[in-house]
Amino acid sequence: MSAVGSAQNAPGQGGPAVLGAGTSGAAPRRRSLTSGRGGLWFVLPFMVVYAAFLLWPLVYGLGMSFFDTSLISSSQSFVGLDNYRQLLDDPQVWRTLGITLLFTVLSTVPLVLVALVMALLVHTGTRGQWFWRFAYFAPFLLPVSTVVLIWQWLFQGDFGLLNAVLGWFGIGKVGWTTDPDLALWSTILLTVWWTVGFNFLLYLSALQAIPATVYEAAALDGAGGWRRTLSITLPLLKVTTGLVVVLQVLASLKLFDQAYILFGGSGGPGGNAAPILQYVYDTGFVNYRLGYASAISYAFFLVIIVIALLQTRLTSRKES
Amino acid sequence: MDRYAMSRRGFLRAAVVAGGAAGVASVAGCGSLPGASGGVPLDYWNFFTGGDGERMVGLVDAFRAEAPGVAVTATTLAWGAPYYTKLAMACAGGRAPDLATLHASRLATFGAELVDEWDLAELEARGVTTDQFPAPVVESVTIDGRLMALPLDTHPLVLFYNTDICGRAGLLADDGTLAPIQGAEAFLDAGRRAAEIAEGPGIAFGAADALANWMLFWSVFRQLGGTVELPPGGPAEVDRDAVVEAMAFMQTMCDGTIASKTLDGPAAPATFASGQAGFLLIGPWEVVTAENTGVPFSMTQFPAVFGDTPYVRADSHSLVLPRQSRVDPDARAAAYDMAVSMLKNSLDWARGGHIPALSSVAESPEYLALQPQSNYRGAADVVEFDPSAYFSGSGSTLMSRAGQTLQGITSGALTPDAGADDLIGWLDEQLTLGSPV
Repeated sequence: MSAVGSAQNAPGQGGPAVLGAGTSGAAPRRRSLTSGRGGLWFVLPFMVVYAAFLLWPLVYGLGMSFFDTSLISSSQSFVGLDNYRQLLDDPQVWRTLGITLLFTVLSTVPLVLVALVMALLVHTGTRGQWFWRFAYFAPFLLPVSTVVLIWQWLFQGDFGLLNAVLGWFGIGKVGWTTDPDLALWSTILLTVWWTVGFNFLLYLSALQAIPATVYEAAALDGAGGWRRTLSITLPLLKVTTGLVVVLQVLASLKLFDQAYILFGGSGGPGGNAAPILQYVYDTGFVNYRLGYASAISYAFFLVIIVIALLQTRLTSRKES
Repeated sequence: MDRYAMSRRGFLRAAVVAGGAAGVASVAGCGSLPGASGGVPLDYWNFFTGGDGERMVGLVDAFRAEAPGVAVTATTLAWGAPYYTKLAMACAGGRAPDLATLHASRLATFGAELVDEWDLAELEARGVTTDQFPAPVVESVTIDGRLMALPLDTHPLVLFYNTDICGRAGLLADDGTLAPIQGAEAFLDAGRRAAEIAEGPGIAFGAADALANWMLFWSVFRQLGGTVELPPGGPAEVDRDAVVEAMAFMQTMCDGTIASKTLDGPAAPATFASGQAGFLLIGPWEVVTAENTGVPFSMTQFPAVFGDTPYVRADSHSLVLPRQSRVDPDARAAAYDMAVSMLKNSLDWARGGHIPALSSVAESPEYLALQPQSNYRGAADVVEFDPSAYFSGSGSTLMSRAGQTLQGITSGALTPDAGADDLIGWLDEQLTLGSPV
């Protein structure tokens, strides 16, 4: 694996410090592990679990999407592509897919930008770096139910903290979780607070991997703080940004739990915060139509694959 | 290096031993559970928390004392969609509990294949017959002439009132109870007058809560004579005019003065219990919340806002025998015993606000003396259950989706016309998807 060996703190490789450690002399031993018969036994426990809980359900779900399987009825029959035909005509599928995509776009932007700004600020050498690192990352460690509980109190329309603070400035009550136009924004606000710490950490580690010598050279050439940030730091973070965006888009597409808990499973006022995964859950488990729910989730799977391919093409073109 | 390898191997070995030991212990534990208590194991599932939860524990304990030969394992799960999802999956998998609580309104789905019918002879042998329950409630739990659920109670929408605020607003009769309210104008006017005295809204109402919205909507809609038929395949047959009028009434009520546009589910009873509102519109179970805070209050039947009969949306907590792939006759007999015991002990359950279903309890002097719980017992005769469909009932998609529309109405985001189109349009879509039953 030459890529690993060559990644000795090469600038622009994005978090290479971890990869570069202790690779010399690893090659021969690795050979014996992969070709030796013992290797299989080591991965077997994982493979069994992987097959039983991921591969098999994937195949089973795909099969189910061609049946009118019901959770509460023993009879089921093969319906071919009927489920897929039906979902194309189901306005709720399109609506919840639209909400999911909108959330993905609207949440990815702040989750990348805010994380970058926070990382830059912390990296400038503010005192007590450990505290900021901890404070920004801490929400990410909270379980989703705790996060939503906190924000439910903050968002509360009649005696919540946010509206109380707005009240001091003479701004009237805002229906954070009751106004159809705001529901998704509230979900985004909560999500940014909750998960921005992870992107922040990725950025911070990338910043710390930029060698000080580059900055020193630039400083000798008379580059000021802003110039150094714009011409050195940001370009060198490009690969990390690519990584952060890919991870964030995939994470945002999976929107379900925080929205489900925040609105008690109702989808929010006017259903404006109901993601497609909630529609899959509701269809399959609340309304017992497992076959149709499988079809929707496979259609969504297709959308995710398309998005992932597009992203890969965009990044690879940028790199070339 | 050597030392590390040894210790790692040692660790692995220890982990395997520990894991194996844990496995053995858990298997042994499973085996020893029923054996240790030495009785017929009986699994009972319910969804009661808070005050109801405490009373349910009381009912279960009472049965434990009556039947020392039965080892009851009572499991409480989160109310609503999570509960019904888990119960349906347990039934579908054939390993359901021996006895479970179910809202009567959910029988459209559960009644088909997921629960067994009650054997009337077995019930009669234990002193319970169907004529001991209110007729509309029995009707709601009977499918094709078979009794699919045993009603424990009826819980209608009720009107709580703060006696202090209503007294100062001149809304009480001479005997200190709420003066009768008849008609929409009178109801809204009472709310307005209470709002002048109260610190908060006149009527505490969960305008952002699907359950509160649906209970009020269905009561008013039925008082207007509205009907809903939901034939599989669609389209929905709905009295659109009655929908619009019911929604218009709710929008007028939630004007920010009479009732808040934004109060959510937990906040509405909290507002009333802290003495900030003149009225509270919700199910009777909140009686415990109000009692605990010591706010001066009483309760009454939801009035006739439209028409002459105070029809009111209600549901019934009932007991079912979930279908099992292998029925243990001893456990089944114990389930009958436990269900009947709970019905007969439901006076304590009634303290939590629910109207007892069994006539011997509902007509007992102890229940009639119960204040304010017995004030609204008349509601049991004018109850209106949710429309019948696989996606309808308490904690169902219909309630949650109609809640969305109704929240648009109460917050002012939707006009009643747009709200009616939205709700009826969704019903049509849902019906065209076909039924999973």
